[in-house]
Amino acid sequence: MAGASNNVHRSIVTTESRSVRWLLTGLALLFIALFLVVPLASVFYEALRKGFGLYFQALVEPDALSAVKLTLIAALISVPLNLVFGVAAAWAIAKFEFRGKSVLITLIDLPFSVSPVVAGLIYVLMVGAQGWWGPWLIEHDIKIIFAIPGIVLATVFVTFPFVARELIPLMEAQGSEEEQAAMTLGASGWQTFWRVTLPNIKWGLLYGVILANARAMGEFGAVSVVSGHIRGETNTIPLHVEILYNEYNFVGAFACASLLALLALVTLALKSFVEWRAEKQAEAARRDATE
Amino acid sequence: MRRGFNPSLLPPHPSQGNPMSIEIKNINKRFGDFTALDNLNLDIASGELLALLGPSGCGKTTLLRIIAGLETPDQGQILFHGEDATDTHVRERQVGFVFQHYALFRHMTVFENVAFGLRVRPKKTRPTEAVIKKKVHDLLGLVQLDWLADRYPAQLSGGQRQRIALARALAVEPRVLLLDEPFGALDTKVRKELRRWLRRLHDEMHITSVFVTHDQEEALEVADRVVVMNKGKIEQIGTPEQVYDTPETPFVYQFLGDVNLFHSRVHEGWAEIGGARIEAPNSPNETTATVYVRPHEIDLSRDASDSAIAGVITHIRLLGATVRLEVEVAGHEAVEVELTRERYQDGAWRVGDPVWLNPREARVYTAG
Ligand SMILES: Nc1ncnc2c1ncn2[C@@H]1O[C@H](COP(=O)(O)OP(=O)(O)OP(=O)(O)O)[C@@H](O)[C@H]1O
Ligand SMILES: [Mg+2]
Repeated sequence: MAGASNNVHRSIVTTESRSVRWLLTGLALLFIALFLVVPLASVFYEALRKGFGLYFQALVEPDALSAVKLTLIAALISVPLNLVFGVAAAWAIAKFEFRGKSVLITLIDLPFSVSPVVAGLIYVLMVGAQGWWGPWLIEHDIKIIFAIPGIVLATVFVTFPFVARELIPLMEAQGSEEEQAAMTLGASGWQTFWRVTLPNIKWGLLYGVILANARAMGEFGAVSVVSGHIRGETNTIPLHVEILYNEYNFVGAFACASLLALLALVTLALKSFVEWRAEKQAEAARRDATE
Repeated sequence: MRRGFNPSLLPPHPSQGNPMSIEIKNINKRFGDFTALDNLNLDIASGELLALLGPSGCGKTTLLRIIAGLETPDQGQILFHGEDATDTHVRERQVGFVFQHYALFRHMTVFENVAFGLRVRPKKTRPTEAVIKKKVHDLLGLVQLDWLADRYPAQLSGGQRQRIALARALAVEPRVLLLDEPFGALDTKVRKELRRWLRRLHDEMHITSVFVTHDQEEALEVADRVVVMNKGKIEQIGTPEQVYDTPETPFVYQFLGDVNLFHSRVHEGWAEIGGARIEAPNSPNETTATVYVRPHEIDLSRDASDSAIAGVITHIRLLGATVRLEVEVAGHEAVEVELTRERYQDGAWRVGDPVWLNPREARVYTAG
């Protein structure tokens, strides 16, 4: 019983009293329930309120399908682009010293610090009909704003930092000695990247990709500005949800919203798993670095 | 217990009998305003085991990395076997580099780490899987760690990682082996064992090797020749005996072992320290001089003498086989004297005893 009394002793010394702990934990749980669980559950509740039949009908309706398709296209283009860019930027920043490095790091963060609406407006300003390059684009019959390319551009912009942000600290912790060792052993730059660098960052990379993907599919503000909301043509899922909602088509709106909610849940599950693996990799890097 | 070294496990080595010489000519290297290597020249004979010895920050790693091609010199040339290799890429230099912190590939097993250099070869020269397997196991046998083939680097001890890093470097049959503080991160006992092992390995393979250390004992024990470096320059090159017995500069004298310093003036070929006269035949007359005397090169006597340094024993420390006495001398810092256990007992020295010190050996360096 000595152990038990020790525990009691310690808890009295190092933690708040029981009532305070209960109060704080309770408050936190209440908050989570009110602001996260209830809304999430209500999405599915509203979507299914009039039965499964109507729910599925709302999802396979042509405009909804077109929104899903466009969302997938935007994600399929922007995520790989950001993956390549993110790896290249993180690699340059973490493994080399060069002038303007801190400027580059700040630039990468720009999409995080600027409102998505502003991001959208920037594209309108540049490539819109009245924009800088507008006349030239019209002349050559290239449509960007109020068309799919604009949506992809806006999505690329807002998801820009995810992969790079995730990789920079990881690669900095790992240093470049393993790459140097690979080179002394005769590996080419390409071999070094595929066999040494990439395996060392794969979990962090996947984590960044999952976050970028979630953002790409869920983005509203920037996409809204450049989309023009043409039904069946330039609507992504979030935009489609808004239109349906404004038309008081609640089943349709919530049915599409439930897709996004589902995406969020899947992302969360994947993220937790990858986070766990990435943490292990980062920990190993730190351990190696301090030895 | 670690098993003994077994030379019969050695793989045949193509560089055997054909080791490489390295010439380093007028190498300069700066980092910003800081001069890391200052017009450095060094010839490394083929097949020798050379130690780069010097204090932290003196440029040892930088020099080693320049030889490897991991760093480019601002000026100067590196010749491998008489051929200019200054612009040769690391990949083509065929050097084995063992990093201070091993730099093992953390996501690969020990086996894959050692096999790496063979697997990345171009298709034409890449050995078959069976050959790779045999070769890796031979090398793991050579470093006596065959039983660890399936482990990951994180699951190894420091000494084991060190030997795996060595095996990995040897797998590509390098023409030169470069080791950066190979035993730096290990405890004294393992380090002593490993450096003897490295020496035997070198005697078998005869591969031109350069290793960096800031441990003078390690350099003196293992190397054929020692290069003492300081502030990006070479102070002295020589066999361990040469640098230890006839240090050419005060720095080398001080860096290799403990030393007592006396400030003095040279007067007609003699430097005087507290009564003791030291011969300084080659020093210009009436110049300030510093006299260096090693603690074990001082005799103690109870007999007062005009030609000895008078002092009083203030501390006695027993260090295993030797005894260190600290002697207070008027007008000087405390002088350290080292005696063998027997001589200390014969003299029956006590703290507080007055003594007269007589340097048996000394070196005089005049200023400038
Ligand atoms: N990439 C770098 N950028 C700036 N300074 C550097 C760089 N690499 C080395 N230096 C500087 O050059 C000097 C020599 O470094 P080097 O690593 O060669 O020393 P060292 O003799 O190996 O020291 P140690 O025994 O501590 O490893 C040091 O003062 C170091 O700060
Ligand atoms: Mg170093």
